[in-house]
Amino acid sequence: MSISRLQQRLLLLMFLSFCQVSQGEDWAQFRGPNASGVSVESKNLPVEFSVDKNVLWKKTLGEGIACPIVVQGRVIATTMADKETFSIRCLNAASGDQYWRKDFKVSGLPAITSPNTPASSTPASDGKRVFVFFDTLGLMAFDLADGKLLWTQKIPEPFYLLSWGAAASPVVYKDLVIFNQDDDLNPFVVAYDAATGEQRWRTPRPEMLAGYALPVICKANGREDLVLAGSGKLKGYDPNTGKELWNCNSLLRTIMTTPVVKDDRIYITVQSYGDTDRVLKYALLQWKDTNQDNKLDKQEIGKAFWEKFDKGDANKDGFLEDTEIDDAFQSPTNRVGGGNIIQSVRGGGTGDVTKTHIIFNLDHPASSNISSPLVYGEQLFMVKKGGISACFDRNDGKTLWMKKRINNFGNYYASPVAGDGKIYVMGENGFLVVLEQGDQLKRLAKNDMGDSCIATPAIADGRIYVRTLNTLYCFSKEAGQ
Amino acid sequence: MRWISGLIAGGCLLASCVTASVAADPVRIVIDDQAPALEKFAAQELKAMVAKLSKAEVKISSRPPGQQQAQVIFLGSPRTNPVIAETLRGRWPKVSDQGIVIRSLEPKQAILIGGGSPRATLWAVYEFGYQQGIRYLLREDIYPDPKPLKITGLNYVNEPEFRTRSWRTINDFAIGPESWSLAEHKQVLGQLAKQKFNQVMLAVYPWQPFVDYRFQGINKKTAMLWYGERFDLPRGAPGRNALRGLSLFENPEFSGKTSYQDMTAAGIRYANGIISESQRLGMKVGILVSPLAFPKEFGPALKGSKAARGLNQLTMTPGAGQKYDDETLQSLVATKLRAYLKTYPTIDSLYLTLPEFPEWEEHAEAAWQYLSDRPGVKLPGLASLVDAAGKRSLIASGDRGRQALKGNVVALAFLHHLLAGKHADLLKRPDGEQVQLVVRSVDPELYPYLDQLLPANAATLNFVDYTARRVDQNSQYLAKIPTDKVKAQFITTLADDNIGPLAQQVTQRLESLVNKIRQHGWDGFSTRYWMLADLDPAVHFLSRASWDPDVTARSAHDALFGVITGKQEVADRLWLAMQHIEKATELTDEKNLGFNFPVRGMLMKHHHPAPVPEWWDEVNKLYTDAMIEVYRGHGAADPRSRRLLFYWAKRGEYVLEYLATIRAVREASLAMKAGKQEAALEQYEVAMEKLYNAIDTLSDVVQDQGDRGLIAVLNKFAFEPLKTEYEKVLEEE
Repeated sequence: MSISRLQQRLLLLMFLSFCQVSQGEDWAQFRGPNASGVSVESKNLPVEFSVDKNVLWKKTLGEGIACPIVVQGRVIATTMADKETFSIRCLNAASGDQYWRKDFKVSGLPAITSPNTPASSTPASDGKRVFVFFDTLGLMAFDLADGKLLWTQKIPEPFYLLSWGAAASPVVYKDLVIFNQDDDLNPFVVAYDAATGEQRWRTPRPEMLAGYALPVICKANGREDLVLAGSGKLKGYDPNTGKELWNCNSLLRTIMTTPVVKDDRIYITVQSYGDTDRVLKYALLQWKDTNQDNKLDKQEIGKAFWEKFDKGDANKDGFLEDTEIDDAFQSPTNRVGGGNIIQSVRGGGTGDVTKTHIIFNLDHPASSNISSPLVYGEQLFMVKKGGISACFDRNDGKTLWMKKRINNFGNYYASPVAGDGKIYVMGENGFLVVLEQGDQLKRLAKNDMGDSCIATPAIADGRIYVRTLNTLYCFSKEAGQ
Repeated sequence: MRWISGLIAGGCLLASCVTASVAADPVRIVIDDQAPALEKFAAQELKAMVAKLSKAEVKISSRPPGQQQAQVIFLGSPRTNPVIAETLRGRWPKVSDQGIVIRSLEPKQAILIGGGSPRATLWAVYEFGYQQGIRYLLREDIYPDPKPLKITGLNYVNEPEFRTRSWRTINDFAIGPESWSLAEHKQVLGQLAKQKFNQVMLAVYPWQPFVDYRFQGINKKTAMLWYGERFDLPRGAPGRNALRGLSLFENPEFSGKTSYQDMTAAGIRYANGIISESQRLGMKVGILVSPLAFPKEFGPALKGSKAARGLNQLTMTPGAGQKYDDETLQSLVATKLRAYLKTYPTIDSLYLTLPEFPEWEEHAEAAWQYLSDRPGVKLPGLASLVDAAGKRSLIASGDRGRQALKGNVVALAFLHHLLAGKHADLLKRPDGEQVQLVVRSVDPELYPYLDQLLPANAATLNFVDYTARRVDQNSQYLAKIPTDKVKAQFITTLADDNIGPLAQQVTQRLESLVNKIRQHGWDGFSTRYWMLADLDPAVHFLSRASWDPDVTARSAHDALFGVITGKQEVADRLWLAMQHIEKATELTDEKNLGFNFPVRGMLMKHHHPAPVPEWWDEVNKLYTDAMIEVYRGHGAADPRSRRLLFYWAKRGEYVLEYLATIRAVREASLAMKAGKQEAALEQYEVAMEKLYNAIDTLSDVVQDQGDRGLIAVLNKFAFEPLKTEYEKVLEEE
């Protein structure tokens, strides 16, 4: 028996109405719950989908690389509506209909290095409010219901010696919005009252250089620690006070990936460039010493760094040479150590845990510099440029597979996400590869998103949200119903 | 009028007022209401330019302003602007039709900008902008920060060193202008006018859709682009994002056109669009045609003709069955040329190119005899010339050189017959005007006799050899054309298709060549290139050196990059980068011309088990060093120039990935020969990844249809065959 087209539409309408009021699974920040990239509740996720298959809805947004988030049946996404307009969109998660939109005129934006773009920070939400960061506007809170601006906190403009540009994102912990900004000038982590915007605590991170790791929470040893990866060191803080509890001196200089936590273990992977001694001067002499005289003068360094420059210029000759360069920009307590790049660290420590809490520390060339690892089930999975994947037993670091191609070349800026027994790997080239969770690499599908993609997809309520460079797609098996 | 007299006479009080308030002064451009259209266009250009340079209010009027605080620009010449004729004639220098004048009218805030013709006035406007700090690139203008206009202390009166400054366009590969939309052509033409190019030459091929004709009942039925190649881009093809989701690479002007009629109609519309825009900008227009090559359908009309050597064998050419005075051939050629003149009735020049691979050589001795026997002609014996052509060090040497010379002789004899007999009016346009005949690509051994070998009043366009390096190394030929009797234009190769779509630079070599053609009295130059990608330094150099004999490659570089990047230190880095790229260009040319020729087999020709040549390492290092320098410059440059520098940096990445691809292909081949199939498969995978990255990197910064064409070409001629080979080996395993 077939139903009429009208009946089909009525059914769809009823279904969408139900979706609007349902309070389903949230994916309320970068990579969802605790930046894990794992959807626990979603079932029946689609395997095969593309620009013309299993599309529940799509919305052309304009250029952006921030990840969409899903909260209370709403999707929040950001975009540069044009070169001088930063825009926040709140859409119905089931239909794509717009609830509200906020536009901000922004101009004179700081230099940025591709593929970073100005709209790169992923929002976060506590279910009532949406927290959005834009470097020249600050951290802003909006009412999730109607988009009303609730408060704004000016955040010191970040400065990057190598002009990478801002890309930090807020996270929510209980009633706090926590924001970590590791730049080359004045790195810090700060917590604000989510309701009022009042600063609760602020902790400088003077040992850090530019990096992009998000804070994650690790429950261990009867505590909840705020864990932050940064230059050379993984650190744990009390999320209620910002007080540093422990540090693990095991990382490399530049950290762009975010750790993931499962049980009491923290996993982090970083691509090595061979610069395990963490010294910055070689990079600066390579890229900032414009006249290649093997020393830096002030004109070669952004004005924002002149105070640091003066501090490092020990002989006051107006140049930074050799160790003066490191003295100017790097903490003396954070120049040695580390080296390996795939690590598991047990949380809950105190003081220096470098020798006590590292469970494994592998030296395999499997990690990406940008794409974060995924812990799904008992596997630690990662993918890097070229679509080369590796997988390890998360418990002991045993190799399950190494250097296996997922058959999609190109860059990988998005981090893999997972749910319903499947791993979703988004390539910058616009192809999303679906793998089956397991001890062996098994590819299920290669799906065409039709545009390049840097944002990590979101998963909520059995739907997958993919934000390509210009368009937001919602894929779901509901589309075929 | 009284106001202007007073202005010239001077007045101290007024002068001090003007100086004090210059920042806020409005600007008035004075041009006659009846000025030629091109001068009115120049006024509009000047208005937009000044407004952007100074943020001043700018108005165009036919009279000087009443208020005396204004800065005044008198535009035109005594012939076109009565104000200049009546009050400033004494300040007007003697200039030719190409001469330009930028002269401050001290002590007032007034200036004269004009030229010996309306188009020279337009160039004067652009030169004024350049002197105010604007830099013209092929894709954009880069302006300095706004500041009050400086119109005092200027006295620039100049004539070009080269009276022909020609830009070639259309061509034959998907990486080049044959792929550009009309809008892209117009944009580039606008930028060329700013760089004072004064001619556009449309290089068209017999199989292209730019003309329609019929001969002896045979209709032309071939109308294709890119030698008939089709560039499909399936989903998953690397770089497809740059093609905006299209599954087929096309020239937008020909999108969806498949029939001969539709293609030809679109082609004629397209070419006419280029021509009319060029003329609107004051440029002369020529069309370059191969008179002795025809689509194959005309073969039956010429008994004894043969298939011409060339990609995909699309044309035929006369053979033993035709003598140099063959009447049927003359009629066929006349039909074709008349069709061009009828289709494009406003062109100024018809360039007739002698075949690149002259195969019509059977009657060379008789043809030479005919040429020698004409009254007043004194030519040497053919044998000595043929012998010299075989022994020289050009690409066309040995058998190819001998054949080239003989083929040229037959073709020249044919042209004499063609233009002397019943087709004597062939070079007349429908309006009765005579077009300038220019004979292109004459064999260098014939240069000394060109005044006797070319048809009457014909000019010539020549390049000696393909690349700038090769020409410079054989530059003795440049001295051999009797330029006092024959106008000679020099083909300046800015980027050679044989080296292919790798980054190329030639500016230092151009400096040497430009000096030589100047010394030997050549009339000018015509560019040769395919991709616009890397051309800005060379085009800027040509533009400046055409008007100033003291300009060097380095000084032009600094004048461009020191200004747009805001720092001499950055210009220094970029100079190093350009030097590295030029060395890489020349090394590739020297070791393997054709290394990356963008046709079928471009990659897999490297798939043979020969050792990896050492020069590959050297080229790789040069491109690596260049990329580092560009990135280094990019990081420190003024934001206005960063887009361009980032584009070049990414092109550098692309080149390195592509070179790595070629190496991996070679390694795979070596592994296969050694029976190491697993190792070979790994190398094929590396090659595919590197090639993917190469194309993907290009797609990140694609700036025009040439770049998209390169993505299409690399997909079809490199990625697909590589994948096929990989899958074949995989299956065998």
